[in-house]
Amino acid sequence: MNTDTTVVVTGAAVLLPGADSVRALADGPAPGGAPVDPAAHVGRKGLRYKDRATQLGYALTAAALRDAGLLGADEKEGITVPAASIGVVASSNFGNLDTVARALDTLREETVTATSPMDLPNASSNVIASSAAIRYGLRGPNLMVCNGETSGLDAVHWAATLITAGRAGRVLVLGVEPDNEVVRRLLGGERAVDGGAALVVESRAAAAARSATVRAVLGGYRRGAGEAAARGRRWELPAHLGRASGAAGLLQVAAAVGFFDAGEPGPVQAVTGTADGDARADLLLLAPEAA
Amino acid sequence: MTIRPIIGMGAVAATGSGVGELFENLCAGVSGRAGLRGFDRTRFRAQYAYEVDDRPAPGVDVAGRASRLLHEAIAQAAADAGLGEDLSGIPILVGTGLRELRSLELWWRDGSPFADSGLHFGTGLKERFNADVTHTFSNACSASLYALALGSDLLDQEGEDAPDTVIVAGVDVLTESMYGLLERVHPTPPDRVRPFDRNRTGVLMGDGAAAIVLRRTEDGAPRVHGRLRGVAVNCDAYHVTAPSPEGIAEAMRAAHSLAGVKPADVDLVMLHGTGTLLNDEAEAAALAAVLGDDASAPLMTAVKSMTGHTSGASGLINLIIGVQALDEGRVPPTVGLDEPVEEAAPFRFVTGRAAADPSLRVAQLNAFGFGGINAVAIVEGT
Repeated sequence: MNTDTTVVVTGAAVLLPGADSVRALADGPAPGGAPVDPAAHVGRKGLRYKDRATQLGYALTAAALRDAGLLGADEKEGITVPAASIGVVASSNFGNLDTVARALDTLREETVTATSPMDLPNASSNVIASSAAIRYGLRGPNLMVCNGETSGLDAVHWAATLITAGRAGRVLVLGVEPDNEVVRRLLGGERAVDGGAALVVESRAAAAARSATVRAVLGGYRRGAGEAAARGRRWELPAHLGRASGAAGLLQVAAAVGFFDAGEPGPVQAVTGTADGDARADLLLLAPEAA
Repeated sequence: MTIRPIIGMGAVAATGSGVGELFENLCAGVSGRAGLRGFDRTRFRAQYAYEVDDRPAPGVDVAGRASRLLHEAIAQAAADAGLGEDLSGIPILVGTGLRELRSLELWWRDGSPFADSGLHFGTGLKERFNADVTHTFSNACSASLYALALGSDLLDQEGEDAPDTVIVAGVDVLTESMYGLLERVHPTPPDRVRPFDRNRTGVLMGDGAAAIVLRRTEDGAPRVHGRLRGVAVNCDAYHVTAPSPEGIAEAMRAAHSLAGVKPADVDLVMLHGTGTLLNDEAEAAALAAVLGDDASAPLMTAVKSMTGHTSGASGLINLIIGVQALDEGRVPPTVGLDEPVEEAAPFRFVTGRAAADPSLRVAQLNAFGFGGINAVAIVEGT
């Protein structure tokens, strides 16, 4: 029986205004970066009728799968491992708020007949997770975490849980938040990051079996009311990028991968949420040598 | 996975609040269908839904109803399990299709107060139950069975941080946007939910919430309602709204395998049975393929014919009604099912009156969601 429950990171991707790699993220993106253009990453095909968060999710998914060596240059060739071995866990709080508000405006100002049937899938908050699975043929468990500020780290935790429970050999974990009028009004005028980060996490055995490069090792995760004791270096998203919300945890893990790629020893402690909010979550990331 | 006792249950839907009342009403064939209560009816072609009648004034909607129903179901389940009202440290996993998006709608158009911390359920659960290990999963119509899978995985973990008790819940209330977009894709506006009937017109939403308390062992539990044998989850990766019979069948086979049961062991199937134009044939074809020669053996029913489609809550409502059916040897009927679709021809549906059968031991529960996310659970009676 395999008793090694270690889960490792074997791929990471970042797309934010001013950062398109874990290294650029770790270094701190400069202000004034151009908005992310999903079509520049995955082509225009299939983007029509998809909301902004889903489009960003496609681009992040492709980049993280490629970084992990699970997808070749031509995405039509598909993934290099059995479809059922990859699960998806996505995190977003604001993902489909624009669709909900727009459909409601149409209903109130006209009638149901004026709404677009193409909005139906986008009205379901799990559209980011399921769309990534459909486009890239990922047939493992598919989970959408909408858990407030701690969502991103919670998503990594649930990905690790799916792996240690034997439900998936590896999981694509995605955190994304779009920026739009509805989100800004909800945030009192503040902007959201309009991007995010994605990871591929695997059991150490699954990574070893395909000779994947380990980029980071997941340490302990905790969610609760209390303050998290300092256990490692912390990285913070520059304030000019706006609210990261459901993407915040993933961006911190991606930055940790950027540090480890550059040879920094770690550990890095990712922390999301506040003690005066509904809870805090924290997750420790260890350098690859720890595996 | 290991078999886990279910030591507390709570539920609320249009047809009743509390497991006992809900079960009795469903067995009596009482439907929660009524004219739309919280929306301006002139905006819609469809005019009916299965809402919980809890608004302070007719025709005026209020924010926070999803949280209120969720708290009611969790309070019932926690009291049933003897946990009290302080749930700090106990993981609470909530499956939902639409979170508090109805409150967002009322904020966006009608100016009711709202903050981003109110989109998910953790903030309200902290205020109400002092809960701090809370997780909101927005997994469409299979959300609460997905949450159940993750809850059972937590109980399978070892180590000093591993929990002994997990609360799994599901909740949804109507949103105007989803109600409208769902009716938009139907050629004629749905009039009532008639699962598996040839002449059904489609799906209508319902309000509902459900919660169960799962425990690592039976030691010290005031009662054991039933046992969870296994939950399987997967994704068709096929289409954003259309189901795949193959993906559904794979989830059923995986659930049987995890639970250590054969098709012949299944005595009762609590069907997903939404009455949508696509689900019922796909579910029936998958189930007939998986059960094979035993397709005519188990009793089958679809309670959405009385609760409406309670989306994220529906999987766990199916579980609670299924456990109660095993316990009492009675199975609620599928109301409005007159002529089953061809794919469901072999099935032994309960129609008309509730079925009585004291020998029921094992129930299968189905829940499938947009994006092809499938979840199937197996429970057994005590």
